[in-house]
Amino acid sequence: MLSSIFEPASIAVIGASNNETKWGGRILKNILSGFKGKVYPVNPNEKEVQGVVSYSSVADIPDDVEMAVIAIPSQLVLPVAEECGKKGVRGIVVVSAGFSETGSAGAELEQKLVSIVRKYGMRMIGPNTLGIVNEPVNLNATVIGRLPSPGTISFITQSGTLGLAIAEWTIDMGLGLCKVISTGNKADTDDVDLIEYLDNDPATGVIAMYAEGIKRGRKFLEAARRTKKPIIAIKTGRSKRGAKAVFSHTGSIAGSDEVYSAAFRQAGILRADTIDEVFDAALAFSCQPLPKGNNVAIISNGGGASIVATDECEKQGMNIADLSDETKEKIKRVIPGFGSASNPVDTAGTSSYTAYSESIKALLLDENVDALIAIYVHTLMSDAIPPAEAVVEIKRKCPKPVIACWMGGAGTEKGVDILKSGCLPNYSVPERAVKALAALIRHREFLVTVKTRGGSYE
Amino acid sequence: MSKVLTEHEAKNLLAKYGIPVTKGQIAATADEALAIALQLGTPVAMKISSPDISHKSDVGGVVLNVGREDVRATYNEIISIIKKAVPNANIEGILVQQMAPPGHETIVGLKKDAQFGHALMFGLGGIFVEVYKDVSFRVVPIDKSDALDMIAEIKGYPILKGIRGRKPADIEAIARVLMSVSDLAEKENIIELDINPLIVSESGAVAVDARAMVE
Repeated sequence: MLSSIFEPASIAVIGASNNETKWGGRILKNILSGFKGKVYPVNPNEKEVQGVVSYSSVADIPDDVEMAVIAIPSQLVLPVAEECGKKGVRGIVVVSAGFSETGSAGAELEQKLVSIVRKYGMRMIGPNTLGIVNEPVNLNATVIGRLPSPGTISFITQSGTLGLAIAEWTIDMGLGLCKVISTGNKADTDDVDLIEYLDNDPATGVIAMYAEGIKRGRKFLEAARRTKKPIIAIKTGRSKRGAKAVFSHTGSIAGSDEVYSAAFRQAGILRADTIDEVFDAALAFSCQPLPKGNNVAIISNGGGASIVATDECEKQGMNIADLSDETKEKIKRVIPGFGSASNPVDTAGTSSYTAYSESIKALLLDENVDALIAIYVHTLMSDAIPPAEAVVEIKRKCPKPVIACWMGGAGTEKGVDILKSGCLPNYSVPERAVKALAALIRHREFLVTVKTRGGSYE
Repeated sequence: MSKVLTEHEAKNLLAKYGIPVTKGQIAATADEALAIALQLGTPVAMKISSPDISHKSDVGGVVLNVGREDVRATYNEIISIIKKAVPNANIEGILVQQMAPPGHETIVGLKKDAQFGHALMFGLGGIFVEVYKDVSFRVVPIDKSDALDMIAEIKGYPILKGIRGRKPADIEAIARVLMSVSDLAEKENIIELDINPLIVSESGAVAVDARAMVE
């Protein structure tokens, strides 16, 4: 069971070290710094590692061990995995490199490792993984410097180092993460297993993926289509074209990337072009409901920003909602006469609490509006806080999604903090805000189209 | 091992899955060609049939709109052109075929994909596919809503819907072909397949030429 890996009662760290610049040292330190269960360092040369009693082998540990992190040279992994199996360990995370990623000899070693894992009914992440994080149980079995803030985004990454760098970056951004899973060589646990596991994981609300290739393609599509949770994926290697000198027209056009795009869409996976887009969308999913339709209202204190947002909405296939006369009347009462009460609403420089609060209330009550993009453009004469308070206040009572875009950097920080504390996704430029909203809309479309369709790929 | 099917073989495969194809038979002599042409109704299309030649028109192996009085001469003409152009080609004969009905040229194709099984492609034919690559893809199997989506997805869709007073093409017929090709992909060992063109008229769609590589 994968739950033995993500929510173990006890962990052995095989290859534990006092040296924190070594994998076995850093991972042990990270596990000890948060994890509440029992931790057993394993190192035949030490009586104690990082202040914890150490054992010379897994077999010597007097209690049950549910999960083991293995960080030792690849040629030593097989006997250690065998020992784990005999000990009754349920899951192993094999950090060691030197398997199928290195060539045929490594691939053979990996095959033998999988046989041992299967023989004892264990599950394995890796080999060649950079570990896993499960925030709800404070488990950081990676070399990431700290635990992320709590959240519902689970991140599956095929690339180890890039994945960890991204995870660190999301932590810097204050994005709430639930799990980070570096898949490594996917010798036992692959994307299919992980999607199925995360689908059933109550702590996961959104799945973000960095993929270089997918194993078991059809099963993967099936698993992705079954889950109602949004999956946002970046699949690299886009530039690879189909082979040139091929037999048919179809063959010359159908490069693997085109096929990936089609397959992802059929399975209801949102394909992102950039890493920013993956997490921009994930952030929106993690804290906003899905809109009922694609009719968007935009409010801004500056016309330029709302034009940029409007253009991007059209590019993304979203509709700029026609506001009811009643809505326009309500807005006219709180904005200057030379502002615009039509969508996109332009408060003509005003960013008072009342102007934003009353306008947003009117917009969200309008039945022609499914979602709102609230923009604030900072100037030296304006204050980023009152409009942020207004958005957060109104949003609290409204089931429609609201996306924020507080532009301008220095001077906006306090406003941005208010938005964050109100769980409003905020983006630095309108295009990013619009694209994040577009992801919500597309996922909702997936839920009513592909995710309800019959048929099977199996 | 892979094997290239001749047009005739590829079309027989399509017909097996209920895909309409232009009727035709292979003639081994000029007299046979005329007999087939008279049976099909003239004018006819005449195409070289050889497992060694898959780009038939590139080597001068295709003549269209052949009237009854020209069938025999055309037979001999194509054979002599091919013997010069591709001296080592194993020639089965000449495929004598109904002329394609007027309509929109579209392309339907399959490609075996290492990850997902088979990819199914649809697009407008001719320069639309050659230059603009205006095509859509799905992984098979597909259902009818997938088929309709992939037709509507191409940029040239308004052309099929009928612009400037032209009557709309038979979208349902294209969808039926796409679903049949999806079915075929699931049951046959296809590496690559092109139906190019699939001619779509106001009522019906017919495969006029096809190429396939099978395992």
